[in-house]
Amino acid sequence: MTSRRKSSTVMRMWDWSVPPVSTHREVLSIVPEGWIDQPRASRKPPILFIHGLAHGAWCWAERWMPAAAELGFPVYAVSLRGHGDSGGRKRLGRTLMRHYVHDVMQTITEIPQQPVIVGHSMGAIIAQLVADRYQPRGLALLTPAPIQGAAYTLPRLIQRRPAAAAKVLVGGTLPLGPEQLFCNLDETTAAMYVDRLGRESPWAQYELMLPHRIGPVRCPVLVVGTPDDRVVDERAVTETARAYGVDPVWLPGIGHDLMLDGGWEKPLSVVLDWIDERC
Amino acid sequence: MFPVRRGDPALAHPLPAQDAVGMIIDRGGAWAVVGAGPHGLSALKNLLQVGLDADGYERATDLGGNWNFHAENSRVYESTHLISTKPFTQFPDFPMPDSYPDYPSHWQVHRYFRSYAEHFGLLDHLSFNTEVVAVAPADGDRWNVTVRDRDSGVETTRQYAGVVIANGHNWWPKIPQYPGQDTFTGELKHSADYKSAEVVRGKRVLVVGAGNTGCDVAVESAQNARETFHSTRRGYYYNPKYALGRPSDQTADLLLALRLPLGLRRVMFKSVLRLTVGDFEKFGLRKPDHEFFETHPIVNQQLVYYVGHGDIQPRPDIARFEGSTVHFDDGTSAEIDVVVFCTGYLAHFPFLDDTYLNMVGDHPVLARQIFTPSSPTLAVSGLIQPDSGQWTIAHWQGMLVATYAALLAQDPRAARRFYDAMVRETDVRFTGGAEYKDSSRHYYEIAHQEYLRAIERDLQRLESMSGALVSAR
Ligand SMILES: Cc1cc2nc3c(=O)[nH]c(=O)nc-3n(C[C@H](O)[C@H](O)[C@H](O)COP(=O)(O)OP(=O)(O)OC[C@H]3O[C@@H](n4cnc5c(N)ncnc54)[C@H](O)[C@@H]3O)c2cc1C
Ligand SMILES: NC(=O)c1ccc[n+]([C@@H]2O[C@H](COP(=O)([O-])OP(=O)(O)OC[C@H]3O[C@@H](n4cnc5c(N)ncnc54)[C@H](OP(=O)(O)O)[C@@H]3O)[C@@H](O)[C@H]2O)c1
Repeated sequence: MTSRRKSSTVMRMWDWSVPPVSTHREVLSIVPEGWIDQPRASRKPPILFIHGLAHGAWCWAERWMPAAAELGFPVYAVSLRGHGDSGGRKRLGRTLMRHYVHDVMQTITEIPQQPVIVGHSMGAIIAQLVADRYQPRGLALLTPAPIQGAAYTLPRLIQRRPAAAAKVLVGGTLPLGPEQLFCNLDETTAAMYVDRLGRESPWAQYELMLPHRIGPVRCPVLVVGTPDDRVVDERAVTETARAYGVDPVWLPGIGHDLMLDGGWEKPLSVVLDWIDERC
Repeated sequence: MFPVRRGDPALAHPLPAQDAVGMIIDRGGAWAVVGAGPHGLSALKNLLQVGLDADGYERATDLGGNWNFHAENSRVYESTHLISTKPFTQFPDFPMPDSYPDYPSHWQVHRYFRSYAEHFGLLDHLSFNTEVVAVAPADGDRWNVTVRDRDSGVETTRQYAGVVIANGHNWWPKIPQYPGQDTFTGELKHSADYKSAEVVRGKRVLVVGAGNTGCDVAVESAQNARETFHSTRRGYYYNPKYALGRPSDQTADLLLALRLPLGLRRVMFKSVLRLTVGDFEKFGLRKPDHEFFETHPIVNQQLVYYVGHGDIQPRPDIARFEGSTVHFDDGTSAEIDVVVFCTGYLAHFPFLDDTYLNMVGDHPVLARQIFTPSSPTLAVSGLIQPDSGQWTIAHWQGMLVATYAALLAQDPRAARRFYDAMVRETDVRFTGGAEYKDSSRHYYEIAHQEYLRAIERDLQRLESMSGALVSAR
């Protein structure tokens, strides 16, 4: 039992005194026909997807959402403010991680029952911050940004991609190209996806550098990593899994954006099977 | 003659005779929750969430408690809006929609509680139109809970591992007595019977009391009645809903977040009031006889405005009634058609022998205002009146009780240690350093942040006692 707790799950002073302003929120969803009429106890739980840095809800809508809905899961994906077709782009320079948490919490209240939350990369950190205040049905963390804080990755980033590192340090969005995100996509498709990437809040990026203390979390946790990830390293994945006392699931041969890359079916089935078994 | 609905028809209901064999249904490790207002809903949800079984009973036909407008126990009126804004008022794990305004209406609040209950699957665990008529101890710290179906009158007794009482403390009217009151020829009403301005329309009205109800009713009367007098037994600080462009409670939380001391916060609040509203005495209102934070905050931006229009005429305490005339302490008098006593409410537990609630004088005194020294398996949720919104606290009270109940099921001896330490703190109050004015309405007053800090420490203690939880870092 670890006891090095985060500052406070109870006293959320800044949320009380300076609450996030509301913004238009893009929520994509597919609810299989007849799902709502099935008995609550036996129907498939809803899944809420949270995208990562500079992505948007669209990245889930491409492949995973229709495929999961086909199997009977109601699926939802939210674009965090300043991302996808949500509002708040002009305020991105003043956006903090807690604003993203607010957007996810708002989306959760619109879902008819407690969803399994699936977070990718930075979205995995947001998913954990959400689970710190709300008990989801399950928590799946895919190629998660490091729970221990990404600061340790900076020296390597400076060495390998000095221009990208400099950009991030002065508040620019971490440049992500096909070579970082995908292993198995043809050039055209990869370029098309990369084209859809937007900007990230500099503050959220800085917050990613800091350690996150979360817990206790009282739901099943799944951590998925890939050794071929060129954004999130193995250490981030193992540390995250260790924090929840689980073994990470490793899926070689796929890139960081495992919901878009060729071979997306495999990680999806890992997540869905885990939901069926554990959640 | 008194038109006040005295609340509960089931008063002092005797325990129904039970056939010794098998008439009491054993609910095993389950807990019972009395009431489906925000506190009952939170208790139910959190008990289920920690993996326990729980049954909720609600005498009304719908959930929401005070916010279920048409229910007998609801004390909101048509025009009620929250006096506290969303961020602290809402459940922290189920925020109100962004589409709601800063100060939602009671209709919106009711819809919000319904979606909370639906989201967390509480409806399957709630029995509506079912009144708890007796909560009585059984062997081994267990409780027999007798409920009555309000349609059929059929009563059933079930035995539970524990009970959370969340019946609310804002519904049983507190009615003052003045000399000559019986001779008064006009109507005497309590705010419990005030659901809309129909009560005062076109009449000569006396509103008594300046809690938030009294102030709201006085304002509504100013807009609808022929004449409005407002009698208070002291002067107050009338806080605006917005000052300097911000909701007042959010500013109060900001100052607390910055850890400014009480004295400084008092100076700042009084200066802002002075700058934005002005000197109350110049409006003809009485000078407050107390410091800021010594009475439950009034949040009402309109009262002073209508005093300025002459539509509300402030008066001191009532001296006596005489026919249709009311005489006041300052020697003035007025002809009155209807008196609305907005003199507050008292806690009331008709289904339980008071001795289980550690009565001191006429009210329970409980550890954290939750745990009674008389039983480790009886908890009260909602016996608080925070100087802010309430449901963030409802959430954490529910979490505390549920986490404790889970520990009790899992490791009774550890839970007992927690309980024993807890009830040694029965006398501890959470006043934020202020000395509340002596009034029945301050029995349950708490400084919200100080109170939550204590609950947080309790939760940490409980979590360190139970090994079953997964904790990150
Ligand atoms: C006019 C008014 C305005 C308010 N405005 C605010 C505000 O702006 N912000 C805020 O935070 N708070 C406000 N409050 C405080 C309000 O009381 C609380 O927010 C909240 O409703 C208390 O919740 P509760 O669950 O403890 O009690 P209640 O809401 O009163 O619910 C108790 C429930 O228990 C049920 N019950 C009682 N006895 C039995 C029984 N024997 N068997 C079965 N069921 C039973 C009742 O029917 C009721 O549904 C206001 C109160 C009033 C009167
Ligand atoms: N959201 C909203 O708009 C809203 C509206 C109404 C109520 N509320 C909440 O509901 C709760 C109850 O409020 P309430 O206004 O109904 O009751 P309250 O806060 O108890 O106020 C009662 C008022 O009556 C006075 N009073 C009490 N007994 C008296 C007596 N014997 N003689 C003369 N005066 C007497 C009190 O004076 P003292 O100062 O001497 O105690 C006080 O001014 C509070 O928590 C309140 O904040 C919220």
